[in-house]
Amino acid sequence: MALVRTEKLSKVYNPDTVPVHALRDVSITIEPGEFTSIVGPSGSGKTTLLNMIGGLDKPSSGKVFINGTDLTGMKDSKLIDFRLQNIGFVFQHYNLIPVFTARENVSFIMLLQKRDKKEMLRRADELLESVGLGDRKDARPKEMSGGQQQRVAVARALASEPKFILADEPTANLDSTAAMNLLDIMLRMNKEQNVTFVFSTHDQRVIDRARRVITMVDGAVDSDERRDGTNESGDSTGKGNSTGTGTSTGTGTGNGNGNAQKS
Amino acid sequence: MLTYIKLAWRNIWRNKRRTLITASAIVFAVLAAVFMQSMNRGSHEMILDNMVRFSTGYVQLQDYRYDDESSLDNSFFFDGSVKDRVMEADPNIDMVLPRIETFMLAANDAATRGSILLGIDPEKEHRFNELRNRLTEGRFFEKDESSVMLAKGLAERLQLSVGDTLVLMGRGRFGMTASGLYEIVGLVEFPLRDLNNQVVLIPLPEAQFLLSADDYITSLLIAPGHERHTESIARTLNETFADDELVAYTWAELLPELLELFEFDLAVPKLLTVVLYIVIGFGFFGTILTMTMERLREFGVLLSVGMKRGKLALVVFLETLFISLIGVLSGVVISWLIIFYFHRNPVELTGDAAQAVIDMGWDPVLPMSFAADQFYTQGFFVFAVAMIVFLFPLVKIVTLNILEAARS
Repeated sequence: MALVRTEKLSKVYNPDTVPVHALRDVSITIEPGEFTSIVGPSGSGKTTLLNMIGGLDKPSSGKVFINGTDLTGMKDSKLIDFRLQNIGFVFQHYNLIPVFTARENVSFIMLLQKRDKKEMLRRADELLESVGLGDRKDARPKEMSGGQQQRVAVARALASEPKFILADEPTANLDSTAAMNLLDIMLRMNKEQNVTFVFSTHDQRVIDRARRVITMVDGAVDSDERRDGTNESGDSTGKGNSTGTGTSTGTGTGNGNGNAQKS
Repeated sequence: MLTYIKLAWRNIWRNKRRTLITASAIVFAVLAAVFMQSMNRGSHEMILDNMVRFSTGYVQLQDYRYDDESSLDNSFFFDGSVKDRVMEADPNIDMVLPRIETFMLAANDAATRGSILLGIDPEKEHRFNELRNRLTEGRFFEKDESSVMLAKGLAERLQLSVGDTLVLMGRGRFGMTASGLYEIVGLVEFPLRDLNNQVVLIPLPEAQFLLSADDYITSLLIAPGHERHTESIARTLNETFADDELVAYTWAELLPELLELFEFDLAVPKLLTVVLYIVIGFGFFGTILTMTMERLREFGVLLSVGMKRGKLALVVFLETLFISLIGVLSGVVISWLIIFYFHRNPVELTGDAAQAVIDMGWDPVLPMSFAADQFYTQGFFVFAVAMIVFLFPLVKIVTLNILEAARS
């Protein structure tokens, strides 16, 4: 069963006044263990798609399934609980609780899950160790660099043992060293612990290291490139040529059907 | 829960200055409100205390007709056995004071004035209201004497002093003529103007003899061991003497007009307190409004990662509560200390203000009430303000659009 599946997902803002089509019939699937980037220019709909997958926004039409569960009809209170148990979030601006230490920030999610206190602290310490912040457990966000804060955010996202992690522009506010550091950590977790990551990003460094790149243009999937050699047809609207992004060795060109090719 | 408390506590100190300013405003409101109330109630308590000690007593046992017609004809028989029944009725009764009271004309050789003749047991009266200490001239009479003590104001009106003779004329029990000549052995200054201008004190046996009312009294004042037992003693006595045509009244029942007057007098300070709390409430609201609006993004993120709206509201509620508690507790402690000092060392009035108060028959001081309820009612007020203020973040959290908040 696909971990994430969207069916003809559409989102129209201001449908009665000036309609803005943020998503147009987007149908994608994400399997467990993927390390996927959703890329595209500003306004292409990548964040909207991420929000739909994360259950943060409701589609105008279409459906979102997480592990077979349909999110589209779910009530707000159930969605909050569903997110808590199934999805980890990493935000562009880190968004840690400023008055909590790194350890408290990580364990807070487990507190919301009503886990045992000792287990909570043990796991928080383990996660902070694994993101290289074992010695910064008692530091508050303002005492940490951006890169360190984002690593805490990753640890926090992992704390709830989610099915997958959604990361919205996770490296946008980081310098290149911190960004590469963060990427290394996420890749390692993906490889070693089979954690599924889905990013929206502009960052070429992230795109270069992703194993799958879904390119969005004007609210539709323009290309869907798998770096393991399996490319899928993406754009269901059948738009014209668009430029997809390949591996670190160069850029690839999508064909008219939205198929991207590894260069 | 501990984590939510920790989170809320730390959140309020994210902007220390703002929290301290808000808490200080609450401290000021509590201080002003307590001070205002304490001053007003202090005067009321002083008047009531004097009324109770020198006029009504805490509980008064009367013939059931006496309240409607305060006549000697409505006096009642009182001897040792009645006293024993009263004392045995309730263990919280400390002592009883028999009094006989009637209107008489008091005269010197040239002038006559209406007066209140009060037959008392001098030793018991002194134990109850320290009457001996109010003697300004002469000496305190004994129980078996045939002499009188005059209230200072009445003595001045009749231009009589210690050693002079007072003529008393009036009506005794069942229409008997009552008149007598008495040596004035002392002058007493009452702390109530009405009493000070009218009272003639006379030993109880002599009064009963003068009024042809042997073993009869008009009222029996009952002193409880503690003031809080007033109501229960009155209830018990009413049950005990239900078949004896006697009724027990509490001081509050005997002074309803005065209590209403005090209520009316307290209306203005109460209104000012409400205005004060409205003003402070707006300041408090400003703080909570800012704290909420600048954290909308944070709220959005917390909801995104799985915090339930109810838990988030709980944290903000705790923040509101903490700020109000810091303010109200500090305010109560500071006002407690200040009021305690002034309660023990009341401000002494001087000049015209002092004279005006003396003319009313009161001590020239600014008494401060130390009643506990004026402190804890402030806690209630601030809590109510906090609850109203909390409505804003509550509505915001309940209706918060996660995406818009996270983008803000």
